[in-house]
Amino acid sequence: MKHLSIIASALLFAGMAVAADHGDHKPANCAETSLTCADKATPFFAADGALWLAWSANGRVAVQKSTDLGRTFTSAVFVNETEKLDGGADGRPQITVDRSGRATVAYTIAKDSHYSGQVMVTWSDNPLKGFGGAQKLTADTASQRFVSFGLDGDGRVFAAWIDKRNLVAAEKAGQKYAGAALAFAWAGPGQDFAPPRIAKDNTCECCRIGIAFAGPKKPVVIWRHLYDGGVRDHAVTTFNDGLPGPVYRVAVDKWKIDACPHQGPSIAVGGNGTYHATWFTGGSAREGVFYARSLDGGRTFSAPLQIGDNSRQPSRPYVLTNGSAVWLVWKEFDGDQSVVYGMQSRDDGVTWSTPKALANTTDASDHPLLIRSGEKVFLSWLTHKEGYRLMALEGAL
Amino acid sequence: MKLRGFIGVLFLAALSACDSQTIETRPFVRGSWHQLLAAHADKPTIVHFWGLTCAPCLTELPHWAEMQRDRPGMNVVMIASDPASEDTEELTATLAEAKLNNVESWAFADAFHEKLRFEIDPTWRGEMPRTMLIGRDGKARVMSGVADLQEIRNWYDAQTKS
Repeated sequence: MKHLSIIASALLFAGMAVAADHGDHKPANCAETSLTCADKATPFFAADGALWLAWSANGRVAVQKSTDLGRTFTSAVFVNETEKLDGGADGRPQITVDRSGRATVAYTIAKDSHYSGQVMVTWSDNPLKGFGGAQKLTADTASQRFVSFGLDGDGRVFAAWIDKRNLVAAEKAGQKYAGAALAFAWAGPGQDFAPPRIAKDNTCECCRIGIAFAGPKKPVVIWRHLYDGGVRDHAVTTFNDGLPGPVYRVAVDKWKIDACPHQGPSIAVGGNGTYHATWFTGGSAREGVFYARSLDGGRTFSAPLQIGDNSRQPSRPYVLTNGSAVWLVWKEFDGDQSVVYGMQSRDDGVTWSTPKALANTTDASDHPLLIRSGEKVFLSWLTHKEGYRLMALEGAL
Repeated sequence: MKLRGFIGVLFLAALSACDSQTIETRPFVRGSWHQLLAAHADKPTIVHFWGLTCAPCLTELPHWAEMQRDRPGMNVVMIASDPASEDTEELTATLAEAKLNNVESWAFADAFHEKLRFEIDPTWRGEMPRTMLIGRDGKARVMSGVADLQEIRNWYDAQTKS
């Protein structure tokens, strides 16, 4: 714990400002469009070690850069005017910054009263100077939500999201269609996104997608799928040369539920190609947060390992690797405090350290995320009270 | 004068018709759950958690309206528990559109959702829809996902018989 010293102190101060009560129905909310009032912050480490954040606050999306590991940030560069953003718990702005310094940012707006989403994308070769006007990622009018980005080793941006175009088409043809679809698009270095394609039909409609890379043009994607009979368990596929491969089931949790779980999975690929997956389920086979590993590219996974204390609502697990080292963090709530716990494996996920509390808060918070810069792994966590925190996990677990 | 009186009666009739259809969506904050339980003590109450971002929730709303029509005395509380703080006017309009005119409506209005959910049910992780059947004895039965409305009807009938 004593090593957890890298805290965004500049923001702690800002975070202490008490939100004025405007007498509306949002007593705990802040009105500013600043990181202090952001509800979600997505971090990205550029190759030069600079930390970039894309965050959303009160209908706006902005980007900030830090060259001192989150102690101080440049002023916010907004990428949109005030819009109605998709407020889903698993919907967050996305950012990648390639080696040339070109930033790609995506976010989702709620385009009608029934929360159909529209993914918007914008670019900048000089992000601190500003972004071009955001464009629709696709001209298709069906709902798109939960966009996730990954930057592959050759500088291509991979985007995956949940898309309802095939549902709309099926309905028009008078056919039934369960759930939504996993869609993807690629943007080559310095280029716009190529037209999207559907990777797999019948996914769950309301959960984030996990992305890791097995190599350039080889994203490994994990999502909550909709299996026969309305079972919402997890699936994984590995892309090859930019195209999706076979789809495998991560675990047979048997979560049969006609509902929106609002909880998506996370995946990481180790140095020797081991897949590390973590997810939440309320299945009849098992309930809670789980971890499993695959030694054969996702075809088969180990027996799920239960994570966290099930009496304290474990949620939002996130996994990251560096060679054979694996880190896993998640959030628990005891009735008063939300606590981020973490644990580490040094042997490719075979054995794990005892979980430790890394950070806590007594108000609203974003999901805990993990991010790596070179050999260093950090916890990235935005909380309403404390603001943005970036904590080095070296020696903490 | 007669005409004016007639118009006046029409106006009043229109007003009262409007009145019975007006839903007010109240902010659900820390402590609201206990307040709600106290207000409904001793009455069989059906609490339904839903949201505008939840597709299955929106699909089933009209069926809830049907159920209410065949059980006019049924106490139904709708709580919008989407992770996003939602526009209360939009919530109210969506309920009205589904013809759910006679319900008590609340919407989560505190970003600390873990806390709100914990007060309601520590085992709830936020999945929606979700329904709680709270009996006269205060005991709650939870139905996760789209509820079987026939089961709710049966439960309600048994509750009102005894």
